[in-house]
Amino acid sequence: MILSPEVITLLILNMIFLFFGTIAFFLSVKIYLYWDINSTSAKQYSIEKQSFLAATIIKYIFAIKLPLFLFFIFTLDKISNVLTGAMCAAGVVDATPYGIYLFVFKLVNIYLFGFWLLLHYLDIKKENLPYTKFKFAFFIVAFFMLFAEIVLEGIMFAQIDIDKMVSCCGTLFSNSAGSYISQIFKLDTSVLLFLFYGSFILILIFSFLKKYLLLLFTNIFFIIISIISLIIFFSTYIYELPTHHCPFCFLQKDYFYMGYFLYVTLFVGTFFGISSGVANMTHQENRRSRFFSKVSLIFNSVYVILVTSYVLFYYIKNGVFL
Amino acid sequence: MIELKNITKIYEINKNDKVTALNNINLTIKEGELVILKGPSGSGKSTILSLIAALSKPTSGEVIVDEKRISKLPDNFASIYRRDNIGFIFQKYNLIPTLSVKNNILLPLVPSNPNENEVEEKLKKSMKRFNISHKKDILVRNLSGGEQQRVAIARSQINDPKIIIADEPTANLDEKLSKHFIEILRELKSSNKTIIVATHDPLFFNLDFSDREIEISNGTFV
Repeated sequence: MILSPEVITLLILNMIFLFFGTIAFFLSVKIYLYWDINSTSAKQYSIEKQSFLAATIIKYIFAIKLPLFLFFIFTLDKISNVLTGAMCAAGVVDATPYGIYLFVFKLVNIYLFGFWLLLHYLDIKKENLPYTKFKFAFFIVAFFMLFAEIVLEGIMFAQIDIDKMVSCCGTLFSNSAGSYISQIFKLDTSVLLFLFYGSFILILIFSFLKKYLLLLFTNIFFIIISIISLIIFFSTYIYELPTHHCPFCFLQKDYFYMGYFLYVTLFVGTFFGISSGVANMTHQENRRSRFFSKVSLIFNSVYVILVTSYVLFYYIKNGVFL
Repeated sequence: MIELKNITKIYEINKNDKVTALNNINLTIKEGELVILKGPSGSGKSTILSLIAALSKPTSGEVIVDEKRISKLPDNFASIYRRDNIGFIFQKYNLIPTLSVKNNILLPLVPSNPNENEVEEKLKKSMKRFNISHKKDILVRNLSGGEQQRVAIARSQINDPKIIIADEPTANLDEKLSKHFIEILRELKSSNKTIIVATHDPLFFNLDFSDREIEISNGTFV
């Protein structure tokens, strides 16, 4: 078990999320079962008030969870200093079998909570609150994901053994690694870059053509291909090392914390890209979809320009590609 | 038209202490009517006003104004409804003492962000109508009770609302100023506004221009 001040902070906050999340969960079940916007009964008025309370709780959980994700990465990075063999957060993630699943849960949950907020926003923009029942049903599912994340986080920190040697990121993110991560290295770089820039061009085209549903799917594809291309190709230019592919090291001070900026632009860009499709499906008017697609386009473009600039600067400086 | 259908309002002070302010009441007020709600303190008059103004929601039943179910409106829409439809005159005026007469009157216009010319025109008209133009730049805390009342009325009218709600409007006024307020009501009534006054001031009883007087006691109409 590792109990640094950062880990204790994360665990305490998880307990608070669990407590308030459980309240919101039971309220959500009640709202889902009994919500009837046309009813003028005492029960319905009471549920309407409770829906306000539940929505407030969920909003605050998200408001804290969002920066907490960055703090979580920062914590992993910090405790990597006390784990033998770990050079960055990657070593800590690999220190237990739960690390990678926790990471995936954290990412998925941020998107889930983000989409819940989007639904909530679309819901309260209409007098008859058309998505109330759906958004609380959505939270019931999201709560189980949150619960799983909290349990995994507790187990992961409990099982980290500081006396046990762990793998460093150089071993984990290489084509010689025995894990499933090594499978992505089998992808051809030129195909990968074609898919990366191709999907970005499609995002540009669909944004200008206002094809929001296509934008939704393209953004889902774009985030997956972006992370893979970041690990396989762009990371080597960030580190200026042909063999180093770690997606965590550039979060460190040595690389001016550039990773935080890269991930934030990528996540915000794809989140709003997907949101433009969701808003288009739920609302007939396209004003919000247009706004979301513009935000998405700005952030996705910043991301593409940033990662591309590493490659170009390297080429200008050295006259060769890695 | 304002309709209150099967309205019950219970205030829950704590688990074991509940006060039934309104008990299954029904009321219809037509457009342009002036209705006096009379009854002792705690009878439920103010609760009716707050329900019509969408300041609170019933425990059960519904409030419908111009075919809109305002008791079912989410808070953000209730605010828009109030801004566009309701002029509220409070017992204690609820003015902001550190603001001038002008700025107090203009407060309801702030959310709609109208252009400067429109604001000036409305302000001029409103201050002239309620005879407060000469005090335009004076802080309201330096005004007399009657003047503060006129500022409160001017503020309630700046958005030209269809419904005027007055809760014990003369409770802090002497008889002369109360009679003056009644004359203002007469003028508002002539402009076809729907007016609902909750009061226990006998000066409001048997007014020649009121359409109805409704007596309320213990949350039900007498």
